[in-house]
Amino acid sequence: MHEPVVSLADVSFRFPDDQVNTLNGLTFTIRRGERVVISGPSGCGKSTLLYLLNRLYPLNCDGIVEGDIRLFGKRADDYRPGEINRLIATVFQDPDSQFCMTTVEEELAFTLENLRVSRADMERRIVDVLAQTGLTDFRNLVIQSLSGGQKQRVATACALVAEPEVLLLDEPLAHLDPLTARNFVRWLDGIQKQTGLTVIAVEHRLDLWEGFFEREIVLGSDGQMIGDHTADSKAPVVFPKRASGMTGKPALSVSDLSVEISGKQLLELLSFDIGEGEIAVIAGPNGSGKSTLAKALCGIYKHTGTVKSPGTGYVPQSPEFLFLTNSVQDELSFSGLATTKMLDDLADRLKLKAIWDAHPFAVSHGQKRRVAIGAMLADNRPVIIMDEPTSGQDVAGLQELFSLIDERSREGITFLIITHDMEFASAVADSVILIKDGRLTGKFMAEEVWENPALLNAHHLLPPKGADRREPAFA
Amino acid sequence: MSRLLHDMNPSVKFIIVTVSMLTMAFFFNPWTPLLFWIGILILQMTMSRINWKLWALMMLPFTLGAVGYLWTTLVFGADTGGEVIGSFAGIEVTDQQWAHAWSLTFRVLAFSTLSLLFAFTTNPVTFVMSLMQQLKVPPKIAYGTMVGYQFLPVLKDELTQIRQAQRLRGVGQDRHWWHRITGTRRLLIPMLAGAVRKAERAAFAMEARGFTGERRMEFYRPIKVSGRDYVLAGVFLVVLALSCAGGIVLGK
Repeated sequence: MHEPVVSLADVSFRFPDDQVNTLNGLTFTIRRGERVVISGPSGCGKSTLLYLLNRLYPLNCDGIVEGDIRLFGKRADDYRPGEINRLIATVFQDPDSQFCMTTVEEELAFTLENLRVSRADMERRIVDVLAQTGLTDFRNLVIQSLSGGQKQRVATACALVAEPEVLLLDEPLAHLDPLTARNFVRWLDGIQKQTGLTVIAVEHRLDLWEGFFEREIVLGSDGQMIGDHTADSKAPVVFPKRASGMTGKPALSVSDLSVEISGKQLLELLSFDIGEGEIAVIAGPNGSGKSTLAKALCGIYKHTGTVKSPGTGYVPQSPEFLFLTNSVQDELSFSGLATTKMLDDLADRLKLKAIWDAHPFAVSHGQKRRVAIGAMLADNRPVIIMDEPTSGQDVAGLQELFSLIDERSREGITFLIITHDMEFASAVADSVILIKDGRLTGKFMAEEVWENPALLNAHHLLPPKGADRREPAFA
Repeated sequence: MSRLLHDMNPSVKFIIVTVSMLTMAFFFNPWTPLLFWIGILILQMTMSRINWKLWALMMLPFTLGAVGYLWTTLVFGADTGGEVIGSFAGIEVTDQQWAHAWSLTFRVLAFSTLSLLFAFTTNPVTFVMSLMQQLKVPPKIAYGTMVGYQFLPVLKDELTQIRQAQRLRGVGQDRHWWHRITGTRRLLIPMLAGAVRKAERAAFAMEARGFTGERRMEFYRPIKVSGRDYVLAGVFLVVLALSCAGGIVLGK
């Protein structure tokens, strides 16, 4: 058995403003070379636990720690600020906000300067870590020009350049699409095998990790440990079966739609029809023009060709971008198009009554999405386009999104949903619109797409995991 | 053309620019700022490679401002005495007013040209790193500025997204400028809400990589002050001194 790197004995943690503990009586030991995942529902304190291990907490929040945390056999409190980060490195979830320098090389050097590595040693370490992570060609690239998946690899390289013993990962896949996430996990697997690094991750979507982890520590919603066992590969998120809400009437009809912005042809001659109550998923590689299509359809971008629609609404990935007023009620009545009776009806259907007077920025993400959809429906826009609503969502969030869309579809609302998540798509979609390089590959019935791995692959998509299980039902 | 000004140590350049501006403030004759302005232009033409078209565009508002100064000083300037040297549409202009007006005008031109010289030849990243290394600006401030600088394109992108989303809801086509100004509140709140979250995440990420804000001993890319920087600083000071002297001689 290897020596312990992290050991907790009856550890509890409380934020200074809270009455109750966020973490309660945790006891466990993690040994060198282990691959451990900490799982649990949103808000159970997973990330808090991770921050106790890299010493971001308690100092940054004046939190109150009880019990004994030992890192490499030494009490956590005995480490000087910044000292532990030499041994325990961290990768965070948001690829956009963990860098402070312009190029990859400068970013790596930032870690080394913090750790007071001598200048003679810096060059060697940078060359080594780039070779080890396969990023040698990235050395002089500008970080902000990289894709999300590439940024996460760079963030990992910036952690590994410290030559740590332990790598902490705080939901590193949350903002990546499934294919990029899978490639990241495989890449990380190779690095872990090569270095024998201890990996401790916080994650709620274990299905994306395939068989990466050996051990799972499960936290309950009250911050207590409710399990510590061998990790088994998780089933993907389960959605209920839904019946299509299509009424047979036409809703949106697009012919020869093209978009050109500052001399660049972003979309070329797209034509398709969508029926009332239909849920269509728009998918395709990054930069293929999905968001451009969404914005052209609802009139944000100028286009040529014709779009016939009873009114098209748009819900961006951050629904708060739409909000203009100080209460949910004002948000829905903003345009003045809906009567009081219609507003009342919408509030009931979308379960907005409880937050009717709340500030739209102060409600949960799921509720913001409801408010945004409510605002669109109150504006007489019965065709709704949602831009990447699945990104960064946990299991509960995805299930809530599913029922929100499913219920509206049965009310005759038409949806176009941009997503990379074919798991979600297979649960919700009637049809799939595939786009590549600004051109329409075609509009397909959903089942046709799941049975065609070559087609999915060509559009950088992973087939839904349940596909093979579901197949007999369609035969 | 050489790139000497681009390669000059940013902190030294910064100090020289500041010293020049402060010195200019003590001269009220028109010749000193005029000579200095010409000097700066010559230095920039011979020792840098910049996009002159963009430069001209940036100079435009300053030039308008300079003409404005000239006009208002001539027309509304306090009567400080002196000989009347001419009159135009009933406005009498004394020689002192004339001198002050041109002095202000050239000063505006000299200041703006000097600022643009700095802005056009300095890489912001190198400037911040140099401030930290030469002028001992604390790393907390230096790297804080760097993070802000990295966020700029992200924030710009977000602002576009918010604008588009809000236009969909029927705002953004405000006809009057005062509506547009009161409307910025609506744009700023969603953007700032996002920015606060991002700032906290960035701070955590930096700390998790061992950043404590302590002064650092070694730099991956030390920015040095070389002999060339002293020579260039000397050249600037000579131009400054000559224009001061020239102004005193010609102003008599």
